[in-house]
Amino acid sequence: MSGVSAVSAGRKRVLVVDDDHDTLDYLSVLLGDNGYDVCTAADEPTAIARLADFSADAVIMDVMMPGRSGLGLLVKLRANPRWRDISVIVVTGDDRVLEDHGKSYLSSYEGMRGPEAVLGKPVDPQTLLRLLES
Amino acid sequence: MLALREDSMVDRYQQYFEEIPAYLSIHDRNFRIIEANQRVRLDFGERIGEFCYRVYKQREEVCAECPVEMTFADGRCHWSEQLLITRHGRQTHVIVRTTPFRDEDGNIVSVMEMLTDISEAKKLQTLLERSQQHYAQLFEEVPCYISVQGPDLKIRDANRQFRETFGPAVGGYCYEVYKHRDEPCLVCAARLTLEDGQCRNSEEVVTSAAGQKINVLATTAPVFGPNGKPEAVIEMSADITQIRQLQSQLTSIGLLVGSISHGIKGFLTGLDGGIYLVNSGFANEDRARVEKGWDMVQRNVGRIRSMVMDILYYARDRELSLVDIDPAEVFADLESGLQKKAGDINTELSVEVAPHVGTFPGDAMAVRAMLINIIENSLDACRADRYKEHRFVKVNVRREPPYMVFEVEDNGIGMDRETREKIFSLFFTSKGIKGTGLGLFIANKIVDKHGGRIDVDSESQRGTRFLVRLPLEARPSVPLVE
Repeated sequence: MSGVSAVSAGRKRVLVVDDDHDTLDYLSVLLGDNGYDVCTAADEPTAIARLADFSADAVIMDVMMPGRSGLGLLVKLRANPRWRDISVIVVTGDDRVLEDHGKSYLSSYEGMRGPEAVLGKPVDPQTLLRLLES
Repeated sequence: MLALREDSMVDRYQQYFEEIPAYLSIHDRNFRIIEANQRVRLDFGERIGEFCYRVYKQREEVCAECPVEMTFADGRCHWSEQLLITRHGRQTHVIVRTTPFRDEDGNIVSVMEMLTDISEAKKLQTLLERSQQHYAQLFEEVPCYISVQGPDLKIRDANRQFRETFGPAVGGYCYEVYKHRDEPCLVCAARLTLEDGQCRNSEEVVTSAAGQKINVLATTAPVFGPNGKPEAVIEMSADITQIRQLQSQLTSIGLLVGSISHGIKGFLTGLDGGIYLVNSGFANEDRARVEKGWDMVQRNVGRIRSMVMDILYYARDRELSLVDIDPAEVFADLESGLQKKAGDINTELSVEVAPHVGTFPGDAMAVRAMLINIIENSLDACRADRYKEHRFVKVNVRREPPYMVFEVEDNGIGMDRETREKIFSLFFTSKGIKGTGLGLFIANKIVDKHGGRIDVDSESQRGTRFLVRLPLEARPSVPLVE
């Protein structure tokens, strides 16, 4: 289920990170149908491992995953020069993150750039696709 | 000349005897009045020669403890309190004092009795007693807990409600009686009030003699001594347990609404995904995609159904309705649904019910809900595992008197210590958006209501084992339904 779908030249590459398998299946099919190369991961360590050989243009991630809490993956991306510029879209059911776009979580990381966008679950596919296009 | 002076002295003493503002009478050994002053004559009539008990009390025999008799017996002065009845029928309380008169040889020949009217004082005393009784009754019957503590924090007095709830408290330390503590409370309102004479309010949780926790709003007030300094403290506590329970229920409802909306967001995402896969599968004539999408739809509808059942169970908090349950029948009923779920996530589910396991008393609906919650939790733990080739959930049912034992073991993602300690807490979930935090809370509540218990062994990434023990004998408080 996880892993990299067929990679084609010139297609945008998206890593989807969520501990819910239905969400992973849904988003990977949706994005694949819309011309994206998709890679999935169900937890943060797997996501980091995937990024080593899948140079993503964007990461779609949830904030509540087993063994980790909050926006730890975002912090790791922003802290690494290789991944710093990857666009991050948070898709979550967590009301706090929806309200403050993760500001309270990131307050201890001075100057750190927050996610490019935060969308609530259930996600509107058109909004998500539009954000990825921009 | 001398005789004249003596005569005048006798006259003067006779006049004192007559005029003294008390009843004065002289009695012989036979309790006859041989002399009496003017006040006796005024209130009791000319009764010289009559028995004193007849004159003073309208009795026909000697009084039980007669001070005149005692003075004749031991030659000493005596006193007592007596109730007299005047010739007009008026009752008069008097203090009686007696003193002996002796002849030249020292023999007691008569006894003088002086009776002082204390009716007014007696009336005041009665009023005082009534007033004391009135306040004692108020203290006793006030519908809250009242205790009076001295500077040593020992209870000097306690009202009826206090004694009925906390036992015979007088003489015990307030912290022992109220809170079952071995030492004074860290912040002691009683002690602070004793120090500065100020009233204080605090909310406390106290424990009754029967071990029941009671939320109280306690107020302390000083009892000042004659020197103007607090010598004791009166503590009055109102039971606010019901208010706190209501508040806690309202908080729970708020959390429940949050938890439900959180869960629904996850299920909607799953349904959206399923519908997208089904629609796009049809459009592309991709049967595999349609099937995958339809599985997602069914799985999420099933999750919504379980959540609704949990919410209903939580909301109702109904009493158990016990019947004899055969575990083999329960699993014959449940297994196909659970096998489908296990198959969908490539997990092997095995159910083994020991032969001749017999029955146990339980609420059929509740026991089913409990088993489904625990087994589905194990299936979810397997589903979340991404690394194991072979994932399994093993259910074993056996009879181990005095319990029926249900063992549910999985090799899913397991739990860390914090998760293990919190799994039965209301609204705790480790499943992110797919959990409401109701399932295992309710499972535990059901087992607890049956008088059983759940033990959990778990290791992160290794798996989890739930051991549910339900008693083979119904608790007397829960009658079996015929």
